Amino acid sequence: MGGQVSKIMGKIFGTKEMRILMLGLDAAGKTTILYKLKLTNQDVTTIPTVGFNVESVTYKNVKFNVWDVGGQDKIRPLWRHYYSGTQGLIFVVDSSDTARIEEARSELHKIINDREMKDALLLVFANKQDVQGHLSPEEVTSALQLNKLKDKLWYVAPSVATDGTGIFEGLAWLSNNVKTPPQK
Amino acid sequence: MAARDRYGGVFADLGFTPLQRAIRNACDLSHYEPNLALNLEVADLINSKKGNAPREAAFEIVRLINSRNQNVALLALALLDICVKNCGYPFQLQISTKEFLNELVRRFPERPGLRPSRVQHRILESIEEWRQTICQTSRYKEDLGHIRDMHRLLLYKGYVFPEIRTEDAAVLNPSDNLRSAEEMEEEEREAQSAKLQELIRRGTPADLQEANRLMKIMAGYDNRHKTDYRAKAAEEVAKVQQKAKILEEMLQSQQPGETVAEGDVFEELANALRSAHPKIQRMCEEESDDPEAVHKLLEINDSIHRTIERYKLTKKGDLEAAARIPKGTLGTTTGVSTNANNELSLIDFDPDPPSSNGNAPAAPSGATSLENDLLGLSMDEPAPGGISLPPAAANPAGPSTASSVQEPSPGGSRPNYDILSSLNSSPAPTPSQSSTPVARAQQQQQQTTPTPPPVDPFASLVSASPRNASPFQGGKTAAPSGSSLLDLAPAPQPASKAPEEDEWDFTSSLPESNALPSTNRVTVLASALRIEFVARRSPQQPRQIQVVALFSNAINEPMRELHFQVAVEKAYTLHLRPQSGRDMEPQQVNGVQQEMMMDGVDAGKGNSLRMRFRVSYQVGGKRMEEQGMVPPLGIA
Repeated sequence: MGGQVSKIMGKIFGTKEMRILMLGLDAAGKTTILYKLKLTNQDVTTIPTVGFNVESVTYKNVKFNVWDVGGQDKIRPLWRHYYSGTQGLIFVVDSSDTARIEEARSELHKIINDREMKDALLLVFANKQDVQGHLSPEEVTSALQLNKLKDKLWYVAPSVATDGTGIFEGLAWLSNNVKTPPQK
Repeated sequence: MAARDRYGGVFADLGFTPLQRAIRNACDLSHYEPNLALNLEVADLINSKKGNAPREAAFEIVRLINSRNQNVALLALALLDICVKNCGYPFQLQISTKEFLNELVRRFPERPGLRPSRVQHRILESIEEWRQTICQTSRYKEDLGHIRDMHRLLLYKGYVFPEIRTEDAAVLNPSDNLRSAEEMEEEEREAQSAKLQELIRRGTPADLQEANRLMKIMAGYDNRHKTDYRAKAAEEVAKVQQKAKILEEMLQSQQPGETVAEGDVFEELANALRSAHPKIQRMCEEESDDPEAVHKLLEINDSIHRTIERYKLTKKGDLEAAARIPKGTLGTTTGVSTNANNELSLIDFDPDPPSSNGNAPAAPSGATSLENDLLGLSMDEPAPGGISLPPAAANPAGPSTASSVQEPSPGGSRPNYDILSSLNSSPAPTPSQSSTPVARAQQQQQQTTPTPPPVDPFASLVSASPRNASPFQGGKTAAPSGSSLLDLAPAPQPASKAPEEDEWDFTSSLPESNALPSTNRVTVLASALRIEFVARRSPQQPRQIQVVALFSNAINEPMRELHFQVAVEKAYTLHLRPQSGRDMEPQQVNGVQQEMMMDGVDAGKGNSLRMRFRVSYQVGGKRMEEQGMVPPLGIA
């Protein structure tokens, strides 16, 4: 009952809670984005994530619970355990890694075709926009074949995770578009 | 609470997932009794969807159990039962969550009423059933602890649990069927999957930490906790072998005229074997990259097949035909070889190396007889009576061992010169001289469990053929040098002790009194009949060992017709003097004696002499027979 009361209070006073799942190929920058969100003005050094990280970030009255799961191919089969209850998917793409953009596309489509992810918002970070030879957000959009998606709310945000450019804009889009209250 | 029910009623058809709809359908009021087809459909749905489905289903069902309509509640309880029994660990994990259990007993009053309602009775029954089955027998029972807690709480509150029929609930216990390595791995993966999902859902810091750890295991980064499924599969096969062996023994003791009753132990064993049959064939396919494992599995498969055939014929009453089938199972399971007539050849050492057991240091060629194996232990020995240091002892591997072992040990304990212990890289003095050989003798009589953890799990299945991956292989190369130094002929002059340095090859030989004694007494058998060997080296005949076997009667009945047989390896010759008698009075000590002489045993080899014995006698008109290995004689 206590939880329900606080949820009702949350509705009245406008604090929302959102469960965000952040996925993407390895070395795309997921963990860097997560800690850049959490520790806004600090430099972040990361190592490949074996397992996952989870942090809560409050931004514009929305409390984001962001789950960052490792992207190495050995861990990818375990992603599905994190789908349940996810309201927003952040898919991080290394825009400079043109060789693996096709791999990223197939992983992304696997995720969003899962039954449990069908209601989740999709935010794509076209990351590493500072690296020479990167794809533009539009090129990422077409490479990921996002235009083919039906019944899906999606958005591609350019970002540079290392200096924090663009990541809060992405969150803003998520908080503006979330509508379904968290289930349970 | 009523409000919640109404809420559920009004929105009954809105926004339900297919799973929830299926559950509602199965528990619909229109059914007067549980609809098994619909219930199983729900179970299938849960099994195929996995992920969050077990949880979703469990909570949907418990919502219906708390329905105000008793019929719906009973239908839901029947469905719950089906799901617990058919959806495995992922569902069982959900019913053991606190939330679920609290929901399950939500409508229970604080104190039990005079009589529990039908719904309450059924709920109590379910909890009791779970407690007696999955909480005790599941491989992951530590995850199901809350069921027991709830049971205790209800008991404390004064609720009485109905008695359950264990055979009804037995389906919840893990099956006895043979499972291959792949199947076990699959099962483990599913359980881990379900657990990870649940940990992530709970999301407390401790759970998340556990989830991270579990992920590392599942992704293969953390292999420390990885189970060796091949070893487990080998264990399972050994269990089946054991069953085959029991059935085989039972069938062989079957007398004409006795009939095999339906539902007998026979039936049970035969069924277990029959179900194992296709599994072993599948394992053969899975192991196809390991020809030796396949070979062994096929061997086992054949013997099981023969046993089943014999069972069938025996059941029909055709004992003659049954007897014609070669008796194979015993041979492959006991590690004692059977010859063509399927008699246990204990006395004759001639056929393939049965008693080498894969443990005795085989000569490198691998295709040699036991005789050679044992000879391989001894390097070129000095001539009889030689007291000089053998030249072979100038072995670079040996110096430290030689000096450390040959030093007199203050506690009076002697180094155990047994073959097995000398294979161990550290020849430490073993005070108990009989421990190793006894263990070995048992191993040979009932090769049921793979005792030493072998490198290759399947290596231990059929012990008769030595295998390259055997863990003893590593010790083998070291063994000849070590044991030949141990077996140095004792020389009268005391050795000078020099500081250990790498460039020097130290050998030593100490006075006889510090090495093995020239006489020793060992117990060979300690049952109703007690046999002791008093072995000694005669000073006149350096290559001969004299043994006096002393027989004592340890029971309160007279023993008649005592008949003692003994065998040694072919390399030695054995002379037996006649037994001093064949009968013993109750509790008579040393009632019968027999003298034996072993020729051709070089000095220092006395302890590595291997002997087997067989003894038969009659007690109260009943014929008894015993056999085994003679422990090392413990003399030089």
